Amino acid sequence: MTLSHLTDFPDRISPMLVKELRQGLRAKTFIVVFLTLQVFLGIMLLSASATSSSDRAGSVISGMIFTFFSIAVLVVQPIRGVAALSSEIKGNTIDMMVLTRLSAWRIVFGKWVALISQSALILSTIIPYLILRYFFGGMNLVGEIVFLALLFITSMALTAITVGLSGSSSAVIRAIIPLFGTPLLFIGLISMMFDGGGRQLIDTCSLDSPQSLIAVGIYILAIAYLGGSALSLGASLIAPAAENHSSFRRIVALTGMLGMLAAIYFSTIDRTLSLLLICLIATPAILIALTESALLVPTVCQPFVKRGAVGKAIGNFLYPGLASGIIFTVLIAAIGITACLIKPSLSASNEFYAVILAYLGALLFPAVIQAFFFRGDGQRVANYLLLMIGSGILTGILSALTEAMSNRDFLWLFVWNPTVLMSMVGMGRFDRDALLIAAISMNLIFVTILFIKAISLMKGNREMILQAEEERGASLGQSKL
Amino acid sequence: MSALKINNLYRYFGNLQAVNGVTFEIPHGSVCGFVGANGAGKTTTMRILATLDYPTLGSAEVCGINVVHHPAEVRRLIGWMPDHFGNYEHMTVLEYLDFYARALGYKGKERRDRIQEVMEFTDLIPLAERFSNKLSKGMTQRLGLGRALLHDPQVLIMDEPAAGLDPKARVELKHLIRVLAKEGKTIFISSHILSELGEMCDSLLFINNGRIVHHGDAETLRRSSDTMGGVLYDVQVDGKPESVSDWCILQPNVEFLEARKTGGRIRIDTQDPMKAADVLARMVKDGLRITEFHREQRNLEDAFIDILGRLDAGQDAITPPPLPEEKLMVEG
Repeated sequence: MTLSHLTDFPDRISPMLVKELRQGLRAKTFIVVFLTLQVFLGIMLLSASATSSSDRAGSVISGMIFTFFSIAVLVVQPIRGVAALSSEIKGNTIDMMVLTRLSAWRIVFGKWVALISQSALILSTIIPYLILRYFFGGMNLVGEIVFLALLFITSMALTAITVGLSGSSSAVIRAIIPLFGTPLLFIGLISMMFDGGGRQLIDTCSLDSPQSLIAVGIYILAIAYLGGSALSLGASLIAPAAENHSSFRRIVALTGMLGMLAAIYFSTIDRTLSLLLICLIATPAILIALTESALLVPTVCQPFVKRGAVGKAIGNFLYPGLASGIIFTVLIAAIGITACLIKPSLSASNEFYAVILAYLGALLFPAVIQAFFFRGDGQRVANYLLLMIGSGILTGILSALTEAMSNRDFLWLFVWNPTVLMSMVGMGRFDRDALLIAAISMNLIFVTILFIKAISLMKGNREMILQAEEERGASLGQSKL
Repeated sequence: MSALKINNLYRYFGNLQAVNGVTFEIPHGSVCGFVGANGAGKTTTMRILATLDYPTLGSAEVCGINVVHHPAEVRRLIGWMPDHFGNYEHMTVLEYLDFYARALGYKGKERRDRIQEVMEFTDLIPLAERFSNKLSKGMTQRLGLGRALLHDPQVLIMDEPAAGLDPKARVELKHLIRVLAKEGKTIFISSHILSELGEMCDSLLFINNGRIVHHGDAETLRRSSDTMGGVLYDVQVDGKPESVSDWCILQPNVEFLEARKTGGRIRIDTQDPMKAADVLARMVKDGLRITEFHREQRNLEDAFIDILGRLDAGQDAITPPPLPEEKLMVEG
């Protein structure tokens, strides 16, 4: 037996990463992608060098390199993440991992890092082709390097999203990602290759102006937040009840929202950008908070309980679970609305408020439906996302019908669906005041329903908090003795 | 202090009562068999003990540590072997054990020594370079046992480890369990093969519909069942085997239990051998051509069936206290 073989990875590397790299580097998908990319790039450079008289040869090669690289790291690698956690759950191996010292976060993070490491390997192999491409001229060196880095960072986030969602036991949700995501990405990549969109993006990435720097900086932050949220969701989905991943995630979102509130108040931040950032921070935070398990165990209450009444009050927003998730959602929504109201420049019109409230309603709507029709904790995330997609499909059908019909008033019958309300605002043919009233009423109803659900769940939570207090009292008593 | 202690444990999945007021204790260093039909609540109870599920109500402790409140501490004490588990693609047996050893915090030489020790114990050394997903069921179970033993746990919880194994693999597994028991480990094992459990276990726990219906050693169980359930006889005839069952229908105190190739197995509701002789005489008188008539040792399956029969008849039923209403609300 060759136990010396077991020293191929040093001890300081995460066990998950060691496992995933050992498996991943032998996986056919990776080998095929890796070799295909090399063959394509080799052929392309040879043919380009044969016709190097053309002035556009350099930019065509750049486009080809970026397209093939994008397909590999934005499509194939993230799709490999779709089965990352589900295969462990299906194979009954996740339980055995949970019983080791690996926390759910380390399992998810290890899976993600392993896929990213393989993407990095692909990235490193295209660098020689980029160096060769330099000799064809017409290269925006900084722009292309930054663009390449951003493609890689985007791949990191997309992989994080697929790895995170792979923790859902719903095969439907895992299928939706490749079914909808892949065609969208292909369309984007083809347009990049043929419409010169890639050139524009590379110019934006050249970091030669403050706007370019800010745009790249914000993009990286946004991608990091989205990726982090997705991985945290994955960790929550596979974690045992005694592990708390919610509080930290909520604190990050809350800090981001309060930071945005301060930025809007103290600076002249662009209205569209600020709104975009608020939605970007709030959307994953609300989505995850409203899909958490209803379960709370005394162990996770302990850190809050030991801080007395203040700790318990904070716990109502930060305890893991759906009850506090609903209260946290209301807090995040309140901060978001305040951010819209805080500066007169931001408060534009009734139409603007109606859109904001309809967007909020669209986030609450699936949770409200689940409160009525779905019992238990199983597949909460999958149900939420499917309801959201269903709501969008209904809106699409209704929009198509309105195109064919002269009377659009029938859309009022569907105004309970926030995405329909949003499309009604977009059509600009309905009374704006009425739409705003509808949006406010809808959100009030949704919040009331969710509050009732939260209160019913809190009865159970109270018992867990009491147990945590009793345990704390007992341990304090023991330590005094 | 007990190695395993469960007190008034309930686990509901919606309206399904998987575990319904279970209470038992298992002392250190003993081997306890956990017996019950599919869906009786065995796996749920074991998963709660292994910190993989949580009780709706009640408590479960491993070596005095609560599994819900201190799962990390409990995990250091237990080795868990589920009824089925997938193995990884593109990963050898050695790499598989190396991954879990790393995940358990072993480093450097200690890690390699631990893997070596476990592989020797489970006889996995010849399979070291074999891909883990290409192993037979028996080899996979040995690998699973090796993984569960990596951190040298005090308590081993094994859910149906012998299911689907061929006789040779079953004997090997039984041998490994015996060795572990001799080493002083507490083993909590579920199985459908009661005869094997009887040989291995110090005590047996019978669970039915989420409730414990018996807890005791195999011999006591056999004897108590003997006194309660009469004596079993194997009857072979020359002629139609159905003639035995047809004859039994008309006889008081004689019950036909199961058909066999040339006869059947019957129960005579008495311990008195003279009464059995009377039954044999009546059979002969009624024209049955008896070729064989001998008393059979009552096995654990019979005892289990007897216990279930008594429960169905309303005897010995243990009614646990009802689950508080608010608990059901939380579950919803």
